[in-house]
Amino acid sequence: MNPLRLLLALVSLVALSTGAWLAYRMTTPPAAPQTATVLPAPLPLPEFSLLDGLGDRFDREAMRGHWSLMFFGFTHCPDICPLTLQVLAAARAALADDGRQQIPDVLFVSVDPERDSVDTVRGYAAHFGPGVTGVTGELAELRKLTDELGIYFGKVPTAGGDYSVDHSAAVLLIDPEARFRAVFGAPHELAAYVHDLPLLMAAP
Amino acid sequence: MSRSPATAALLLLLAACTGSGPSLVAENVEITRPLPGSGMSAAYLELHNSSPEEIRITRVVSPEFAAVELHESLVEDGVARMRPLDSLVVPARGMLLLARGGKHLMLHGAAPAPDTVSLQFYADGELLLTVTAPVGD
Repeated sequence: MNPLRLLLALVSLVALSTGAWLAYRMTTPPAAPQTATVLPAPLPLPEFSLLDGLGDRFDREAMRGHWSLMFFGFTHCPDICPLTLQVLAAARAALADDGRQQIPDVLFVSVDPERDSVDTVRGYAAHFGPGVTGVTGELAELRKLTDELGIYFGKVPTAGGDYSVDHSAAVLLIDPEARFRAVFGAPHELAAYVHDLPLLMAAP
Repeated sequence: MSRSPATAALLLLLAACTGSGPSLVAENVEITRPLPGSGMSAAYLELHNSSPEEIRITRVVSPEFAAVELHESLVEDGVARMRPLDSLVVPARGMLLLARGGKHLMLHGAAPAPDTVSLQFYADGELLLTVTAPVGD
């Protein structure tokens, strides 16, 4: 082929390819969370005062500087609560394996202060691995947090004078400025967290 | 049509031979390690019923735990609930699944924490099945 024609053909090909790529980028929407519901605007956490597993004050300030996945449950729950915390711990591990820079901490908030002491939540949280913290505290302080975040919990009597605790199954994503940003509903699947968390934590 | 005593005896013998093997068997048994604090474990498994009648498990006992309770977890309108069950019904020629987030056995009061757990399944006082499984990690 004539060298000039060959050059013309190559230039045309490059121009067409570039145009097609630009058109694709302009019309294809960016990746978005598939499972989590993002709040229209970040909601600052209210003031509250609970205790961590060492008996130290745990409040809104303790949540600044890092992302957190917050889950409300109770330790006398052998099924849903451990299942949820295992998924969240696995999500942390998966993000770390992927080399992600931002790894959220997991915060277990006990809504059963009658049975869940500081020592209890410390041992319980440790069961699920690093990066998992348990907190407990006075009912009134819990209500300050749960009422503002739309979290429900309540005692349900069972046989023999015992009781269970019904509680919201949601997991809340809190940003480094201690603001409620997004929520994951049940059932909690590892793949959903692995997909959505990097996108959520990268959002402005 | 009348049958001779010999024929009746033969039929009874055949019925005894073909009725061999338990009607209720368990598969994929998983026992979770007791949780710190509560000391509670959960048991998950499949119960298979090969008989033409449903089997209603009314009680489960474990020598390793003070109590075994039948429970079901459910999430309704975003709220997680755990409810006690009076029985576990395994359908005729069917299977009942006890799995995370659903029906399960709640085991509590173990001292010391066991490495192996034995579960005895009763239907109205009759022991139907004994299962032994190691505790998971």
